[in-house]
Amino acid sequence: MSFITQVLATLGWIVVAPLAISPIVWLILQPYFKGWSRAERRAADLLRDALTPEQFRQLVWRGYLEIPSPTEPQRVYRVPRTRGYIQVIENGRAVMRLCVQPVECLPDADVVVLHKLMIEANEENYLKKANKYLCIE
Amino acid sequence: MLRVMSRRGDDRVTWDEQKVLAGDPEATAAIREAERIFTQERAKGATAFRVEPGKPTQRIEQFDSTAEQIVMVPRVVGG
Repeated sequence: MSFITQVLATLGWIVVAPLAISPIVWLILQPYFKGWSRAERRAADLLRDALTPEQFRQLVWRGYLEIPSPTEPQRVYRVPRTRGYIQVIENGRAVMRLCVQPVECLPDADVVVLHKLMIEANEENYLKKANKYLCIE
Repeated sequence: MLRVMSRRGDDRVTWDEQKVLAGDPEATAAIREAERIFTQERAKGATAFRVEPGKPTQRIEQFDSTAEQIVMVPRVVGG
């Protein structure tokens, strides 16, 4: 009988303890969640302002944004919606992957805008900074 | 408007060019603050772009109070 009581008491604690501490954990973590979601919202606003409706649709539906090179007409940069390599497409073929990242941690939407601005107005420096990985068939 | 990318999303400073021209002290203070932030971020290695709808994005070295929107991105490195 005492064994059953002990098991029930243990099970009771297993259920009650997390319920008891969860409000405290939430209170501790809430500011971080709120801060992050606010940052994501602001970044999403900037992304919507920076992209044309077609570009925004492409990013949402295909998961990447294609940015034509301002200097090489046959080249397109494919920037993923979330962190990852930037693909360089030339004449329809992936020729290279680039790894470029900001020194400061930014929301994903801001990173997309960063790539877009750098490619469109600072391509030479962008390529200079990037680590390049050639695609070999 | 000056938008500076950061972990908080982007920090914004706005001003009204017409009010600045009219000598409005609040607008003048906003523009001074924007210029100060611009210089500070440039010193940290940030790049500034003049972004205007329907026009090609332009990299700028100096603060331009006539720009509709300036976006500053932090320094980038190869990953």
